[in-house]
Amino acid sequence: MNILANIISLTIVFAVPLMLVALGGMYSEHSGVINLALEGIMVIGALCACFTLQGFDRSGFGPAHPQLAMLCAILVAGLSGMVFSLLLAFAAINLKADQTIGGTALNTFAPAFAVVVTWAVQGQGLTTIQIPNWIRITQATFGLPAGNGFLDSLIFKYFYLTTPIAVLLFFVAWILMYRTRFGLRLRACGEHPQAADSVGINVYKMRYSGVLISGFLGGIGGLAYTIAVGSGFNASVGGYGFLALAVMIFGNWKPVQILGASIFFALFKVIAAYNSSIPFLPKLEGLKDKSSLYQMLPYVVTMIVLVFTSKHSQAPKAEGIPYDKGTR
Amino acid sequence: MAQDYVIEMLHITKEFPGIKANDDITLQLRRGEIHALLGENGAGKSTLMSVLFGLYQPEQGTIKKDGKEVRIKDPNDANRLGIGMVHQHFKLVECFSVLDNIILGVEDTKNGFLQYASARKKVMDLSERYGLKVDPDAIVSDISVGMQQRVEILKMLYRDNEVLIFDEPTAVLTPQEIDELMEIMRGFRKEGKSILFITHKLAEIMAVADRCSVLRKGKYIGTVDIANTTKEELSRMMVGRDVQLEVQKKESKPGETILAVRDLTVPSRTHNNNAVKNVSFDVRAGEILCIAGIEGNGQTELIYGITGLEKVTGGTVTLNGKDITHASIRERSKAGMSHIPEDRHKHGLVLDYPLEANMVLQRYWDPKFQNKGIIKYGEVRKYANRLIEQFDVRSGQGPITIARSMSGGNQQKAIIAREIDKDPQLLVAVQPTRGLDVGAIEYIHSQLVAQRDAGKAVLLVSLELDEVMKLPDRILVMYEGEIVGEFNPKETTVEELGLYMAGAKKQS
Amino acid sequence: MKQKKPLAENGMLIAILSSVLSIIVGLVFGAILLLILNPAKAGIGISAMLTTGISSLDQFGKVLYQSAPLMLCGLSVGFAFKTGLFNIGASGQYTMGAFFALVGAIQFQLPWFLCLLMACIGGAIWGIFPGLFKALFNVNEVITSIMFNWICMFLVNLLFANMPTMLASAWGASNSDRSAALAKANPGAIIPKAGLDKLFGNSSWINISFFIAILVAILVWFILNKTTFGYELKACGLNKDASIYAGINANRNIVLSMIIAGALSGLGGGLYYLAGTIQYVMEKSILSMGFNGIPVALLANSNPIGTIFSSLFISYIQVGGSAMQPNFSSESIDIIIAVIIYLAAFSLLIRGILTKILSGNKKKEVKA
Repeated sequence: MNILANIISLTIVFAVPLMLVALGGMYSEHSGVINLALEGIMVIGALCACFTLQGFDRSGFGPAHPQLAMLCAILVAGLSGMVFSLLLAFAAINLKADQTIGGTALNTFAPAFAVVVTWAVQGQGLTTIQIPNWIRITQATFGLPAGNGFLDSLIFKYFYLTTPIAVLLFFVAWILMYRTRFGLRLRACGEHPQAADSVGINVYKMRYSGVLISGFLGGIGGLAYTIAVGSGFNASVGGYGFLALAVMIFGNWKPVQILGASIFFALFKVIAAYNSSIPFLPKLEGLKDKSSLYQMLPYVVTMIVLVFTSKHSQAPKAEGIPYDKGTR
Repeated sequence: MAQDYVIEMLHITKEFPGIKANDDITLQLRRGEIHALLGENGAGKSTLMSVLFGLYQPEQGTIKKDGKEVRIKDPNDANRLGIGMVHQHFKLVECFSVLDNIILGVEDTKNGFLQYASARKKVMDLSERYGLKVDPDAIVSDISVGMQQRVEILKMLYRDNEVLIFDEPTAVLTPQEIDELMEIMRGFRKEGKSILFITHKLAEIMAVADRCSVLRKGKYIGTVDIANTTKEELSRMMVGRDVQLEVQKKESKPGETILAVRDLTVPSRTHNNNAVKNVSFDVRAGEILCIAGIEGNGQTELIYGITGLEKVTGGTVTLNGKDITHASIRERSKAGMSHIPEDRHKHGLVLDYPLEANMVLQRYWDPKFQNKGIIKYGEVRKYANRLIEQFDVRSGQGPITIARSMSGGNQQKAIIAREIDKDPQLLVAVQPTRGLDVGAIEYIHSQLVAQRDAGKAVLLVSLELDEVMKLPDRILVMYEGEIVGEFNPKETTVEELGLYMAGAKKQS
Repeated sequence: MKQKKPLAENGMLIAILSSVLSIIVGLVFGAILLLILNPAKAGIGISAMLTTGISSLDQFGKVLYQSAPLMLCGLSVGFAFKTGLFNIGASGQYTMGAFFALVGAIQFQLPWFLCLLMACIGGAIWGIFPGLFKALFNVNEVITSIMFNWICMFLVNLLFANMPTMLASAWGASNSDRSAALAKANPGAIIPKAGLDKLFGNSSWINISFFIAILVAILVWFILNKTTFGYELKACGLNKDASIYAGINANRNIVLSMIIAGALSGLGGGLYYLAGTIQYVMEKSILSMGFNGIPVALLANSNPIGTIFSSLFISYIQVGGSAMQPNFSSESIDIIIAVIIYLAAFSLLIRGILTKILSGNKKKEVKA
């Protein structure tokens, strides 16, 4: 029974980064900019947040006020992701650059930058930034006794501040997009920027907002990914930036469906980790290196899902097309 | 004599890279008048109105409202001054509702959250008062073109605009809807609103305007009172010379049937019904047959089905007795069909290829131009030069000019040269003169007539009633995917065609 | 009548200038970064980066050797660009090509040229997927390619683990995490040196792969510019609708061009791993050679002949990069490459500026 609890809580913890980054991609694309740089943004967010956590660890602030330190780290992740996304925003919006190439440039830059900086700070060859243990929320945080029951596994085995923050951000993102003036105008810019311009909306500013929000969410997503993987930050987010884009497409650019899609994909990742403990999975005796097979699973499933959902995609109509006031 | 001008645009100059769209233009709009702005394509009318509406900033010149100088930096400023605009290509967000589109940019909010109640009431009140029927919750992509235009008009009224700019509003309407729009405009005038109305259609100006200003190639030509002028005078001001309003052509002598279409059914890409429903007709050698109708009634799909750009789901297409219903595009071309496409940039040319590569777009595989897969560029060059000479295709650097840098008229001439030189039995020409100036139009008409006189079958699709009345030998009107009438242009009138185009009448 | 274009309209010259400008900016950025990270050692680092490539014949041999797979990946990405597709899946095709080549060499004991052929086939197979999924199901080819990069990596690891003859441990070595050394498993599969190693001071790196790559580049140039096939592919890339109107089978061409692009990357994988000096290690992250094809193609503006030069440049600074250790990690070179890609994203703008500068400086030419 505990295995089920473990699976559920691990799925949630892997779904969080997917959902956050996919929501970020959604904001960017609804404003009209394709954000392929999410992978790189996640790396930068994770890099800065992990260094922050290490700093708190060493200064003693962390162990003393763990969740406050964690909150700061989350903010750092979001802000650093936002700053990094400015590069994409500037190239795509002001310079009307090719958004795919721009995104690729940032994705190439970020891991290399992470390694170089880590090397410089930690010394040669030490390319992993360790995450301290105190960031985990345990029963002790709430004054509850430690335990090993179903509920304990379900709630406390993988409980980090990023999870409730992600839930909060989900609701904020949803309300902002569909109930506010800002959201209405943002979506107009991604569907028909000329229409938005003709009613006096500043398309450039709106698109900057979309990209910066995606940078913020992507940065936090990077931290959430690193926490989910657990072994420390190693200048990579395992292609999650692209998986999140697939989640966004599967979720038809709508928040609730994105949430569902994230959980769906996270489940496959988790099945890989627990493949030996799950009774109804095929045993595959004699197959060496089973972990490679299971690690392939999320990507294969992504492809299958995309095959079925891409025909009727409701992508924002004007996404990827740089907006030029002179064109009529 | 003091005039009550609500808007004055004085000595406006607006430039874009390489072209002076507005060159020292002065326009004065009296309060409570309907003022037409006339000019050919590219004369600068839309640009001038975009300056007034704040979409562009002029390099020189001033704008005055009620005698006071104002600066209009963006549409918000224009709105604050009471100026509104209905655009030629609607600026509506297709996946939003009618109500969302109307309030976009001037939303009622409380702490940033959208409030719909008062907006909804105001929209319905305006709709009642001016007879503009709309459904506020309908999604724009689902409603008719006529209702979409009403949404655009409501956008202006919602913002309490007093100066209303209409940019080519009648291009997408039936003759009956055009009359309704004229009535609405007269209603606005009675309420004291002032209207600027961009068009290139003389009949509409004579019907509804008080005064008309004429632009030609970016320059201001003059302003006349409609009561004191004629269509001929306006036309002369517009083009600078007396225009050939008639097409010179001999009597047609049709021969045998070249193209036979029977019970053709073509599906639509945007909705579940068929776009073309059981259509049958023939085109004979030595005649020009024109398919007329309002845009969006299946003409595009009909041509796609005949030329092979779209699969047909029923019926047959026969060319010179050969069944080509499911033949590939190349097979149709080899069987004697040429196609001047509706959209010269989308289908007709590879804009980033040089002119000579575009000239052989339909024939690069012919043994004349390639050997075992290797292109003979020497032959290609010779061929391109010959066509350039013969059809007077002008470009910056001859055959190596990149097609994108050529003017629209010359791009179209290049396509026509290519398609005619194939010596087809059937020439399909879809809106061949769209967006071109009068000189190019005259040339293209003469080419089509020459093909017809040489014994070819010409299938023409046109949206311009002028062209429909003077160029073809026979007219078929299409409405909602069906042929609803056949006419001899000499024996019918624009009004009669209009009734059929709007679906008000049908020949059994 | 000979047509002569004025200087400002000479597209190729402007494109070359634009690339050179990107390179200079990238190098300057890298230099500044090194100065910030470690001012004391920055000078050594910069000079290592810039001069190692020609510091000795052996090193130059290494530059030539490494430029061959880069060139092929660049040709692959560039070929796809010309036909309107972004081949970000070059890494997966490269890896699959390497795998097929090694299987041919070790499992089937084939000679080197047949192994190279197998490499092409492996890459071609992997290249079909993005084109196929796009043509049939409208799936975004960038995402398909990236998914398949990851799938390929895990799949190859899985296959290696379950093909014991392929592993080094089957041929006398102690580790089982890499493929067998070709010197032991099948010397006939090693790409010949043809005496080049003597020319380059007994270099352990140089072989004829560089010249194979150049031949392929010329072949690609010929296909793109002189054949009806190239005419069709470029038309599809520039305007899919117009090519359909012209009777070209656009979907078939998309798939065909990805097959060719895949084969090119796959060949690159084969060239690299059949050199006899490298063994395939079970990877945890995607091989970067395929990704580096992107800046190679961008710098060359997808021109096959230009790719020869841009691959030499990237290879040159990469050799310099490995020599920068231990003061700086070799990833510093990737940062420079990232800057170059970033600049390529708005190359149109840069070219526009260069055009304006050039036309402003010249007297007006009178056209014939």
